[in-house]
Amino acid sequence: MTRRDPPDLFAPYDESAQPAVPIEGYANTFRRNPARPPIPRPYTRTARTGPLDLSPKLKPGDDNLAVIAPGRIALGQLIHVSGRVLDEDGRGVPGAVVELWQANAAGRYFNPLDTRDAPLDPNFVGNGRTLTDREGRYAFFTIKPGAYPVPDSGRWWRPPHVHVSILGPSTLSRLVTQMYFSGEPLNAHDRLLNSLPDAAARPRLLARQIPPQEVEGEWLAFSWDIVLRGRHATPPAP
Amino acid sequence: MIRPNAPLPPTAWHTIGPFFPRTFFREGDNDLTRLSAEAAPTARGEHILLRGRVLEEGGRPCVNAVLEAWQADAAGRFRHPLDPGWREADPDFLGWGRAWTDAEGAYSFRTVMPGGYADPAGPRAPHVDLAVLASGIMRRLVTTVFFPDFPDANEADPVLRAVPEGLRHLLVARPDGRSEGLRAFRFDLLLRGAPDAETPFFVD
Ligand SMILES: [Fe+3]
Repeated sequence: MTRRDPPDLFAPYDESAQPAVPIEGYANTFRRNPARPPIPRPYTRTARTGPLDLSPKLKPGDDNLAVIAPGRIALGQLIHVSGRVLDEDGRGVPGAVVELWQANAAGRYFNPLDTRDAPLDPNFVGNGRTLTDREGRYAFFTIKPGAYPVPDSGRWWRPPHVHVSILGPSTLSRLVTQMYFSGEPLNAHDRLLNSLPDAAARPRLLARQIPPQEVEGEWLAFSWDIVLRGRHATPPAP
Repeated sequence: MIRPNAPLPPTAWHTIGPFFPRTFFREGDNDLTRLSAEAAPTARGEHILLRGRVLEEGGRPCVNAVLEAWQADAAGRFRHPLDPGWREADPDFLGWGRAWTDAEGAYSFRTVMPGGYADPAGPRAPHVDLAVLASGIMRRLVTTVFFPDFPDANEADPVLRAVPEGLRHLLVARPDGRSEGLRAFRFDLLLRGAPDAETPFFVD
């Protein structure tokens, strides 16, 4: 596919690197995905632009999921996750809102819709919101989430994962995804991770563990970079 | 590891899953007329309500769907440098809001009637772009809402013209009376259904 530059900063997604639906054992992927293929449209200004500063509305500043209040520390393995939000050129995306949510160490969400018979942790809510810095870096403390079985799916267990939502500089660069952990045996069997037809795309969702001797603190550390669609993270002013 | 100017493949999408935190939603998130819940509403343009239901296969309500709206200000400008008129864009208008659906699949936005604008692809009619996220939607679904006030502009709109003619009416909101002293418009989304009823969605 050809890229023109500018104004064609947004190429279509490579379909082989994006999830294919429906997914066996996940009824909502049948009920909620259109039967009609999506209609090609010109990318006009509405699609190319987006909210540049959502922080007054979404109020980031909650990047420690592991400590709910002084002295109230979540159960589980303390971890630090950091990385960069990049555009397709490898430029950092500054000022992007990063939203996070995850299960507790027992694999249960602090959410009334999660009625599974696993313990809640009174010291863990498991969601947060932060902002990337000038270089596009983000970081958060949390605990390693537990695995959990998907109801009525025939013994499908979700591997440990963190849900991540990124609101970048354009509506076309919007991304919601999940971060997985390298080396988890359940990764090989996860139907969401394996819904990416191109096997080479799957490892890009895996966080890499930083060797403990390189970590200056008593936590396990992971590194994961996120690439948003689009070139020129911050378009130049006309 | 990362070479500048070497295009990187974008990270894959995944669904929000069933447990997107309700606590992420705050008062005013679905109100596009103000920059934040504390800010005064913009004085420019006609304030309107845009509301409807999100339905899944069989017409059942799609509960806990997240809708994200993005649109131009009342004069058709975006506060974004890709808009040549961005410095004149309404400083009190963010253009972005987020709503979530209740047990009936219902959502509601308060916003400003957007302005149309000239785009290299053609003259854009007033419109609101909507993205739908929900459990089971592995990649957001994107569509565009048009308004019945502007039949001629709608006819010329390059995005609406990309939709097969017989389906275009599905993307035009319907007048829905008045609420809170504002004109209301109704726009229902059917995520999966009969070919003549399923909401047209666009390539993202
Ligand atoms: Fe999950």
